[in-house]
Amino acid sequence: MKLNGAEILVETLIAHGVTDVFGFPGGTVINLYDALYDYQDRVTHYLTCHEQGAAHAADGYARATGKTGVVIATSGPGATNLVTGIATAYLDSTPMVAITGNVASGLIGKDSFQEVDIVGITMPVTKHNYMVKHVEELEEIVREAFQIARSGRPGPVLIDIPKDVQQAQCEFHGGMPKPLLPIPRVSEEALRAAAELIDASERPFVYAGGGLISCSAGEALRVFAERIDAPVGLSIMGLTALDSSHPLKHGLTGMHGHYVASKMNADADLIIGIGVRFSDRATGSTSKYQAKTKIIHIDIDGAEIDKNIDSVISLVGDAAEILPRLTEMVKRRENPTWIAKADLHRQESERFLAQEEMQLHDQDPQAKEEQQLLAQEDMDAQATGLTPQEIIHMVRRYAADDTVVSTDVGQHQMWVAQEYQFCLPRTLLTSGGLGTMGFGMGAAIGASIARGSARTVLFTGDGSFHMNMNEFVTAVTYGLPVVVVLFNNGSLGMVRQWQNLFFNQRYSNTTLERKTDYPKLAEAFGGKGYRASTMKELQAALDAAFSQTEPVLIECLIDSDEKVFPIIPPGGSFDDMIVK
Amino acid sequence: MDKVPEVSNFTLSIIVANRAGALSRVTGLFSRRGYNIDTLTVSPMVEDPTMSRIIMTSSGDEATRKQIIKQLDKLFDVKEVKLI
Repeated sequence: MKLNGAEILVETLIAHGVTDVFGFPGGTVINLYDALYDYQDRVTHYLTCHEQGAAHAADGYARATGKTGVVIATSGPGATNLVTGIATAYLDSTPMVAITGNVASGLIGKDSFQEVDIVGITMPVTKHNYMVKHVEELEEIVREAFQIARSGRPGPVLIDIPKDVQQAQCEFHGGMPKPLLPIPRVSEEALRAAAELIDASERPFVYAGGGLISCSAGEALRVFAERIDAPVGLSIMGLTALDSSHPLKHGLTGMHGHYVASKMNADADLIIGIGVRFSDRATGSTSKYQAKTKIIHIDIDGAEIDKNIDSVISLVGDAAEILPRLTEMVKRRENPTWIAKADLHRQESERFLAQEEMQLHDQDPQAKEEQQLLAQEDMDAQATGLTPQEIIHMVRRYAADDTVVSTDVGQHQMWVAQEYQFCLPRTLLTSGGLGTMGFGMGAAIGASIARGSARTVLFTGDGSFHMNMNEFVTAVTYGLPVVVVLFNNGSLGMVRQWQNLFFNQRYSNTTLERKTDYPKLAEAFGGKGYRASTMKELQAALDAAFSQTEPVLIECLIDSDEKVFPIIPPGGSFDDMIVK
Repeated sequence: MDKVPEVSNFTLSIIVANRAGALSRVTGLFSRRGYNIDTLTVSPMVEDPTMSRIIMTSSGDEATRKQIIKQLDKLFDVKEVKLI
């Protein structure tokens, strides 16, 4: 059967189980969109407002399901608009296939209209990428791209297809998808050595991350941690690997990690890192991080071993395969003294906060008076204002356990990571590695589509939301019940917080003197909008939001001096933690 | 307490698919991760013209050397990396 390149591409997507794609048409993908027109009963194309939104949607689609997300853009600006989205997927290891058109072969290299070297541009932010030179190689390249995107440590792959390759015809073979590339099995000896080290440890601590979500090993993690009775701290990418109600789960570790999780991490004599890369946000000072502890590092990517920290034992492979084997080998044990330490740290943290208040009262009379005034203002603010924590807790009461939550980047992201009680894997979509403001709106749309137009919640800030708010329109167009919870503090809160703590309150360019009326904006885009400055208003808005099927935006007014605590200053260690 | 890492020169033999962009992937990896390239030669392999051999000298401590090899190994166009 002879088909043209565009048809071969769509046929091959279908052969890989692709039912939804995101994108934006343009001159060099007209042929591809013409083919999509023929196949619209089998592949739904979601048109976004901007290619970046399409890339984040494909990413969110992949994160919410584990399937490979597909995004399409035209050449030149269409392709460059994808770059942030591709880099976001790369840093968080999301399987994605990005397809770009390019100018016809004869025009390549001549600075033609809308020509860029997108293969060159995306080389450092893709697992692999291709320029298709002949239509005969297209089918094989697409199959290989899907294989690479999901094999081992997942990631994005880009395929650049010149216009004439999309037009040219050749024989279509219709082969099956390629099997995932094999992952080497960890040897018995290596596992034995790890098991012995675990058995010999007194204070084991499990630090788990996004790798466990990728290979669906959350359950294996629970069984393993219970068997060795080890507290578990999680990176933001791995936060949903374990149910928040689990007694061993201490939540987020790292720069904005929970006090108890950080203290237990610091006290451990053995850290078992699983599906993590020990990023700078997780470790702070690497020399201090590993000074008093041994580390076992389990990861599917061998290049992560000894990249940021030195491990005593490393197991390179699939955690879903390694953990059950390791669980069988280690001794079942209980560590009452070690586990009790978590309670001590919890009391310590409460005492610490109380002491802070005591100290304030001991100051000289004038300072005391000022403090009291401030405290009174705080009270007033609480009477009419909202705290980020109570907003998150309230939204959680409305959301179902399987509701997918996405975030943008900044303070609200950390508050969600600290406070939201996640129960199921793949229910938190957040840009952990690249830290892309504007990620959340696209991701919430992609996740909603991936789960059959399910309700999703986006937590965002007024800074982040402005970066990709145009995609609210996309949610309206497709009737997706996305609930946008916008924390409005009139500032770029995370940077402002750093300026407050580390730059003598010199608030350079972090105060947003914008006049945006968010509820009106939502209405203008065709959705519903509410503003809440009290709990009562928030509840009324959530009542409305969770009972309708159109996109809703709820603007929540919060104080611009709200901060994310604890914080470990950059390059610091757990000992440098600032609690309040 | 910390040992001062010993920096030394080393030579790598890298076999890559003889495809457009393969050399760029290898050199791009070096620049993006901050590794040094001291010398570099590339030529098609006599025994298999679909492959090219890159001979590269670089420098760094042991940890850097190991990382370079592992990162190169992850590139899909790289078929073999050897320290020679």
